[in-house]
Amino acid sequence: KMKGSDNQEKLVYQIIEDAGNKGIWSRDIRYKSNLPLTEINKILKNLESKKLIKAVKSVAASKKKVYMLYNLQPDRSVTGGAWYSDQDFESEFVEVLNQQCFKFLQTKAETARESKQNPMIQRNSSFASSHEVWKYICELGISKVELSMEDIETILNTLIYDGKVEMTIIAAKEGTVGSVDGHMKLYRAVNPIIPPTGLVRAPCGLCPVFDDCHEGGEISPSNCIYMTEWLEF
Amino acid sequence: MTQAEIKLCSLLLQEHFGEIVEKIGVHLIRTGSQPLRVIAHDTGTSLDQVKKALCVLIQHNLVIYQVHKRGVVEYEAQCSRVLRMLRYPRYIYTAKTLYSDTGELIVEELLLNGKMTMSAVVKKVADRLTETMEDGKTMDYAEVSNTFMRLADTHFVQRCPWVPATENSDPGPLPPAPILVISEKDMYLVPKLSLIGKGKRRRSSDEDATGEPKAKRTKHSTDNKEPIPDDGIYWQANLDRFHQHFRDQAIVSAVANRMDQTSSEIVRTMLRMSEITTPSAAPFTQPLSSNEIFRSLPVGYNISKQVLDQYLTLLADDPLEFVGKSGDSGGGMYVINLHKALGSLATATLESVVQERFGSRCARIFRLVLQKKHLEQKQVEDLAMIPAKEAKDMLYKMLSGNFISLQEIPKTPDHAPSRTFYLYTVNILSAARMLLHRCYKSIANLIERRQFETKENKRLLEKSQRVEAIIASMQATGAEEAQLQEIEEMITAPERQQLETLKRNVNKLDASEIQVDETIFLLESYIESTMKRQ
Repeated sequence: KMKGSDNQEKLVYQIIEDAGNKGIWSRDIRYKSNLPLTEINKILKNLESKKLIKAVKSVAASKKKVYMLYNLQPDRSVTGGAWYSDQDFESEFVEVLNQQCFKFLQTKAETARESKQNPMIQRNSSFASSHEVWKYICELGISKVELSMEDIETILNTLIYDGKVEMTIIAAKEGTVGSVDGHMKLYRAVNPIIPPTGLVRAPCGLCPVFDDCHEGGEISPSNCIYMTEWLEF
Repeated sequence: MTQAEIKLCSLLLQEHFGEIVEKIGVHLIRTGSQPLRVIAHDTGTSLDQVKKALCVLIQHNLVIYQVHKRGVVEYEAQCSRVLRMLRYPRYIYTAKTLYSDTGELIVEELLLNGKMTMSAVVKKVADRLTETMEDGKTMDYAEVSNTFMRLADTHFVQRCPWVPATENSDPGPLPPAPILVISEKDMYLVPKLSLIGKGKRRRSSDEDATGEPKAKRTKHSTDNKEPIPDDGIYWQANLDRFHQHFRDQAIVSAVANRMDQTSSEIVRTMLRMSEITTPSAAPFTQPLSSNEIFRSLPVGYNISKQVLDQYLTLLADDPLEFVGKSGDSGGGMYVINLHKALGSLATATLESVVQERFGSRCARIFRLVLQKKHLEQKQVEDLAMIPAKEAKDMLYKMLSGNFISLQEIPKTPDHAPSRTFYLYTVNILSAARMLLHRCYKSIANLIERRQFETKENKRLLEKSQRVEAIIASMQATGAEEAQLQEIEEMITAPERQQLETLKRNVNKLDASEIQVDETIFLLESYIESTMKRQ
C-alpha cells in the first residue's frame, strides 16, 4: 500500500489512522511525531495527492482542518451531524422540524381531550413516544438528510425548553418498538401555567431604558414616549 | 427599604392621606423607629401635627408603637403594610365575589377606616345599600350583621388587639402607652349584639330645609346618641387571609391551565378544606384522605369515587408536583405542596418576563439553564439548537439584565481566564428579588404618569365640574330644557373629547397598576415562603 514512502510518511500515516474518524489536527501530528513543521506539511501534501488522506473542515473552529483517512466518514462532532450542511448551522431546518413536531403533539393531545373518556386513558393517549414522532417526521419527508431517533429527541428537547412540551420516562420491556435500554421517552403538548404576567402588560416591564428613567430627568414617566404610544393604543 | 419602595410608599401616602402624613410616614420608613419628639424635630413639623399624622397612620395599621425601657415610646412604620394599599381594590373585589355587595361594602368600609366597631360598620353599610335600592325598600341591619359574622367565621375580618381589663381596682401609674394584647381564640369572636334597624335613605328633601330647622336637626342627631353596645371592640380586615385566598386562586388556575377543569376543582376543594387547619406559611397542607375529598366535593360534581382516585393519582404523578401522595390510609392521603407551587408560579413569572422582553429564543435558553442548573457556553448552544453567535448574544443580554449569572470554576489556582470553566446558572431567588424591585419602580412610574395626566388637564376638569354643578343646581330649581342645553354647550366638542381621552387614560393606568400588583403578589409570596424555610 505504501510502497515508495519513507519511514516518516509511514509514521504520519499511522498517526492519522489512529485518530480514526475524528481526524487529527496538523499541530497534534507534529507533537506526536516530533517532526518539524515543514516536513509535516510536505508529507501531508504527498499523502493527499496519493489519495490516502483527506482534509475535513471542522465545524467547531472553521479555520481548523483535521486530517483523516480518505475512505472514512467524518464523525458527527466534526461535521455537526444532521444539523449542519457545509459547516452552516441550518436554523430554518431546525425551526421547521420544531414546529412540525409540536403540531403533531398538539393534535394528539387535542384528540385525546375531546375523546372524553376517563382521565387515565385521556392522559395516556395524549402522550407520544419519541419513536412515534420519529416515524411521523420521516413519513412527512421534509428532511433530505436521514434523521435518527436521537436527532428527533434533541428537537423534542428544544420544545421542552420552549415550555410547550413535557416529557416522562416510562419503563418498557426490551423489544417494544422504540424502547432504548429498557425505557421509553414520552412527550406531550402542554399549556403554560400562567398567562403573560402583569408586569409585561405595562410599558415599564419591557422598557429598554428603565434604569435611566426618573422624574425630572430626560427620560421620565411624564414624558415617556412608550407610555404615550401605549395609552393611544 | 430600597429607594423604589420608599418612593412608592411616599406616592401612596400622599395620594391617600395628604402631604403632612406623607412627610411623617416617609421619615419613619427611612429612619426606622423613633420617639415622638425626635420625629417632630427632624421633620421640622409642629408636635401637634405630628401627633395627628401619627394618629392617622396608627388608625390604618401603618405604624406601630412600642414602649421601650425608661418609658420611651417609639413609633415604627411598616413599609410592607403601606404597599398593601395598592391591593385594596383586589381585596374588595374578592369580598364581592364571595359575599356579594354586602360583603364588598363591609370590607371597603373597614379598609378605608382602618379600624371600626361592628355596629358602626353595619349601620354605614346598611345606609349605603339602601341608597342604591329602589324606592320604598331598605336594607335590614340583620342581613348586614349576618354577612359580617360570616366574614368573621371565615377569618376575613379579625378583631384588633385591645387593652386587657385590669383585675385590681387600683390602676397604679399608667404606662406611657397602652399595651395591646389579643389571644388567638378571641380574634374572630363576634360580640352578641342585637342590632335592630334599617338603613336610612338620605332624603334630598332634607337638604332643602335651611336656617331655622338647623337647630332642630342638631338636637335630633344628639337624641340618636345611644350608648354603642360594642364600644371598644374594633375590627380590621385580615389581609393574610385574603393573601391565602389569592394564593389558592393562583394555584387552582395554574392546575386548570395545565390539566383540565375537573382537576382544578379537586385542587380547589382540597385547598378549601385546608383553609382553617393549615397555617398560612406552611410548606405543605395537612394530609387529606381521598374519602374526605370525595365527601367535600361541591354538590353537582358527580364523579364517581374511582374517577376521583384516578384524577388524584394523575395529579400526584404530574411533573408539576403540586400534589403529592403522603400515605395510603383512607384511600390515599394527599397533600398540596404549597412551597413548590409558589416556586413554579414565580419561575413561570420570570420566564414570562424573559419571553416578552427578549424574545422566545432567549426564553428557550433561559428555561434550558433553569432546568440543567449549570451549563457551559458550548453546551447551551448545542442543547438549545441556536447558532453560536446568536446564543452568545442572548446569554449576554440576559446576563446584563441579571436574569442569569456566571459561576467561575477555576482549573488552576491562579484563576487564569483561559483555564477556568465559566458556567451559566439561574438563581431564582435573586432574580425574583430583582424583578420585584422593577415592579415597585414600574408602579411608581404609572402613578406618576397618572398624576401628571390629571395635572395637565386640571383646568379642563375644573371647568367641567363647574358646569356640572351649575346644571345640577338649575335642575333643582326647575329650569327649562333650552337653558340646560345652553349650559351644556359651554363645554365644546373637542373639550369633551379630551375629557373622554383623559378618563380612558387614567382608567388604563389604574388597571395597569393592579396588574403589576398581581406580579408583585406572586413574587413576594415566593420570596416569603423561601425565606421562612431557611
